[in-house]
Amino acid sequence: MHDDILTGVLLEDVALTLDELARACNVEPDWVVRHVHAGVLGEGISVQVTSWRFRSNDLARARRLLSVERDFDANEDLAALVVDMADEIRRLRARLRVLGVDPHIG
Amino acid sequence: MEYKDYYQTLGVEKTATQDDIKKAYRKLVRQYHPDVSKHKDADAKTKEINEAYDVLGDAEKRAAYDELGRGHRPGQGFQPPPDWGTQFDFGGAGADDFFNDLFSHVGRRARGGAGAGGRAGGGGFQMPGEDIHAAIAVDLRDAYQGGTRTISLRIPQHDAQGQVTMQDKTLSVNIPQGVTPGQQLRMRGQGHPGFGGGPAGDLYLEIQLNPDPRYRVEGTHVYQDVPVAPWEAALGASISVQTPSGTVEVTVPPGSQSGRKLRLKGRGIPAKTPGDLYLMLTVVLPPATSDRARELYEAMARDLAFNPRERIGA
Repeated sequence: MHDDILTGVLLEDVALTLDELARACNVEPDWVVRHVHAGVLGEGISVQVTSWRFRSNDLARARRLLSVERDFDANEDLAALVVDMADEIRRLRARLRVLGVDPHIG
Repeated sequence: MEYKDYYQTLGVEKTATQDDIKKAYRKLVRQYHPDVSKHKDADAKTKEINEAYDVLGDAEKRAAYDELGRGHRPGQGFQPPPDWGTQFDFGGAGADDFFNDLFSHVGRRARGGAGAGGRAGGGGFQMPGEDIHAAIAVDLRDAYQGGTRTISLRIPQHDAQGQVTMQDKTLSVNIPQGVTPGQQLRMRGQGHPGFGGGPAGDLYLEIQLNPDPRYRVEGTHVYQDVPVAPWEAALGASISVQTPSGTVEVTVPPGSQSGRKLRLKGRGIPAKTPGDLYLMLTVVLPPATSDRARELYEAMARDLAFNPRERIGA
């Protein structure tokens, strides 16, 4: 057992490059490029591939897209629709909590 | 370690075809998906299902698992032979002990991933270690002030013989001030060890907030219920409120009702763009349990021409 104290960096402060995102998702960079070009990943990203940077939301989204695609042999548009709908459910549940309603009971 | 029956987990017979296994897996993934499931243990169940499918969904791994599992029942003690499974990948971080131990002895097969980037040269084969993804739960106070949290992970380590074994590792992690749920904290070099001298992977920790009955969080904004007495709400008052960033004096405007929101700008989570703190006023009635209290309520009923149901036509 170790007791190291680690200091990490938030992806909001130091974002991932294309290669780093691909590595974090265990996919080829082409997978990322294809999904960015399809408009399902990397919202508001620049045109120049070399200056692409990915933050926390992008990493979480990429991993969720990948899991839907793999689990259900889904194509990228269908996977994006599923992830978008799941995001909307999470957003609405958070709103319910703010309004004092337990979303699992209400 | 205890033997686990992956067939039982997926609810299929040992004779099931790969197609049957896939169908059973998909059905269970849909049923227990944490975003849609109402089951309390949906997360744990999803993990079990994924672990079972990681093995049974791969014909090679399934064959090896069948070979090893011959004659074993769930819950029985189980020890794989030392040369077991040398051709397989590791399970990811957070996978179950049984799965990890089954696949822990092994050198890793090069995956097609960008991270694989294997280089053959000088007789050696180098490959960076895979990244690990996990979540770390922090208190709202950590998000406001920063802090240190510990997390336990089972991480593969090279021993003196170059063998890889799973080791429990407790890490203390600095939580930067201003973190919000869903943000990813990257720890370089804390992932799986590299292969053939390749660099270790990274550890990504997703920030989650421990629930706190006093506060609700939406992005960087924080919401807090503040009970007020009827006279504070009606006449206005200056009240002290314990907020996540300390005690503040707040002015309750006269004529306030339950549900009124008071915004304290910049007193939410101190992110780069700090969030706001919303105080949600709740008027709380004193109980009419004493003679004096009853007298006061009766005086109000008599002296105030007040019909709370006027707007609904009563």
